Amino acid sequence: MSKRMRINRSAIAGSVMVLPYLVLLLLFGIAPIVIAFVTSLQPSMVTPNGGFENYIYSVTEFRFWPAVINVLTFLGIYLPAMMIVVVGISLLLDNIKPKLNLPLRLSYIVPAALTGSLSVLIWYIMLEPSLSPYRDLLHGLGLTESGQIWRTGNLAFIFVMMAFFTGAGNWIVVQYGSLQSIPDDILEAAKIDGASQTQIAFRIKLPLISKYLVYMAVLVFAAGLQIFVEPQLISGSVFPGLAADWSLNQLSYTFAFASNNLSSAAALSILLLVFCAIAAVFVVFKTDFFEKPKKRLK
Amino acid sequence: MKKKIVAAITMAAMALTIAGASAPALAAKPSLTLWVDTPRIYAAELYKKAVASKIDVKIVTIAQSDIQTKIQLANTTKKGWPDVTFGDPQDTAQFAAPTNGFAANLTKVLPKSIVDGYAKYGNGNSDCIFQGQVFCLKNDLAATVLWYNVPVFKKLGLTVPKTMDEFAATAMKLKGTGYTAGGYGDHNYYASFLQSSECPLIATPNNNTVRTVVTAPACTRVAKLLQPLMDAGVIDKRSAFDPGFMKEYPNKGMVAMTLGPAWYGKFVIQPKDVWNMPAGTMTAAPMPKWAGAKTNTSGAWGGGVFIVSSHSKNPKLALEAATYLATNKTVQSQATGYPAFGPVRELWHKALKSDDYFAADPYPAMDDAAKKLSQLNRPVRFPFVAQVGTSLTSKITEGKPLAEALDSLAKGIQSIAPASGYKVVTK
Repeated sequence: MSKRMRINRSAIAGSVMVLPYLVLLLLFGIAPIVIAFVTSLQPSMVTPNGGFENYIYSVTEFRFWPAVINVLTFLGIYLPAMMIVVVGISLLLDNIKPKLNLPLRLSYIVPAALTGSLSVLIWYIMLEPSLSPYRDLLHGLGLTESGQIWRTGNLAFIFVMMAFFTGAGNWIVVQYGSLQSIPDDILEAAKIDGASQTQIAFRIKLPLISKYLVYMAVLVFAAGLQIFVEPQLISGSVFPGLAADWSLNQLSYTFAFASNNLSSAAALSILLLVFCAIAAVFVVFKTDFFEKPKKRLK
Repeated sequence: MKKKIVAAITMAAMALTIAGASAPALAAKPSLTLWVDTPRIYAAELYKKAVASKIDVKIVTIAQSDIQTKIQLANTTKKGWPDVTFGDPQDTAQFAAPTNGFAANLTKVLPKSIVDGYAKYGNGNSDCIFQGQVFCLKNDLAATVLWYNVPVFKKLGLTVPKTMDEFAATAMKLKGTGYTAGGYGDHNYYASFLQSSECPLIATPNNNTVRTVVTAPACTRVAKLLQPLMDAGVIDKRSAFDPGFMKEYPNKGMVAMTLGPAWYGKFVIQPKDVWNMPAGTMTAAPMPKWAGAKTNTSGAWGGGVFIVSSHSKNPKLALEAATYLATNKTVQSQATGYPAFGPVRELWHKALKSDDYFAADPYPAMDDAAKKLSQLNRPVRFPFVAQVGTSLTSKITEGKPLAEALDSLAKGIQSIAPASGYKVVTK
């Protein structure tokens, strides 16, 4: 078989494998973006001229900056908490004997089986001083009424707890997997050279899985930026209006469905996408995320 | 064998032809799609049964909070609208706007008997009327009344308050007794006090103006009257549905009185899993009158409507369906809320009396309140109820001063109303 034919074959095989994804990407990724962009330029009741006026309207609307602050506060706690706890626990998990390892990994996944919507219900019960299984603890802290807990100033922390406990478990297992990919000979060499466990963790293991950590940071950031379910459900049913238009996605939803203004809703969504993309590109290129795998150290 | 097969094929072909021939007859039967929330499914089913031979009725269950979203989606795709939907007056305000256009204008097509059935029993359909044009049919009225505990009043030697000042004085007498005069950390504070006091918050002199005047005495007097009661702990900053509040007061039978909508009786006070007040204790008295007011005006917390689609292919049938759902005797006598349509109320009253739960018949008080619903604040196109939750209720439950909570609501309205095309005036 000539070299050329081989290349052609692998190219065909490659495109066959990529094609289904490309189709889905076009249909459900690119097409909605194009539609949203076109919609974002159309006139609405409050922006009769349409065009980029919708973008200006979205960012000058009185609820925009409070929502930005809310989401940034949320991300400011959520992202570091996720990174630190997930990395810490997966490093510990990596050091534990295989016997204990499996049940532990399972125990991390269990809370992650809860969806965001369900976690709203669970945290409502946990944080309601008269229903909570920890009511004695809450009462001990002087929290006897739900109004002391479910108030505007506390919402970011409550949503971080909800998102953290549903999200952390999955990532612990994923990052444990990435730690497993580190060849044993490297670790053994380090040990022989006299490196302590801490040194091995921070000097060897973390640099070797940094790509996966970047990947995780990008995804966690994107998910956090789009927080919607938790505030929407809490203010839709349990405490009407408590977290209305709390996040940027909720504001976009309100523009579209309560203010009859699909154009500004689309404009806000595009802005979110652009912001998310810039953040991702920045993180990816500031690290060696797309560099070809280097030859293994021997 | 071959013959048999041929015969079978022929017969099958004939059967198909016959089925094909009868298909147009089936298609000729008009179809209607109804969107209803869970409590209204029984009504839609009754209608479906009643017209089964003539109309193909499709019932879709939707959550009330999703109605605007789903209609907006249908507007975007220009298909998928229901012929009739359940909703609330705020939805109607949104749908009646030309920018939305979903709600059909019923002014000219509504039969006189229906118009009269609403008009002759108070302003039953007023929530559906925007600048003289009718855009929906009101299903139920959620007018506020004074719920009170007969044996407790007797035990403490209290008399039923007829004015708001008497309400405050009576509530003050509960101090130290362990009884409460109600929890108001929810929409009830707006409905029972601010709305009944006729505080102009969302008055709409025309379709594109909202009048919000929190400095008006009708607004400031509310906090003045209630703040001392809140401070004394005789009314509660928690919601009537707050688990802590329920455990502390109603579940122990410790509610002496509360202002609240007509549906409190069957849906809050009586049910085992909500307040579970003992039978033979509670009943309703007319709303107390605010000082200087012409009459004892009531507020409203809730009350649904049926909206007919302007896009319906069978507008006549759609109107008939909405009329049936909102005004039919069988439907309304089984309804959960107090019927807005006057002629069916007597039957509903009978159903209400059928179990001897209440200490006395609460119907006369409900009837009085239904006829005196405040008409000052109107349904608006922006999410007012959510705004009350965001700014007013959250401040109350956090224990902030009531006057501050009201200011926060006014600010919220002033910011949010322009997004729905309103000009806000504050004088």
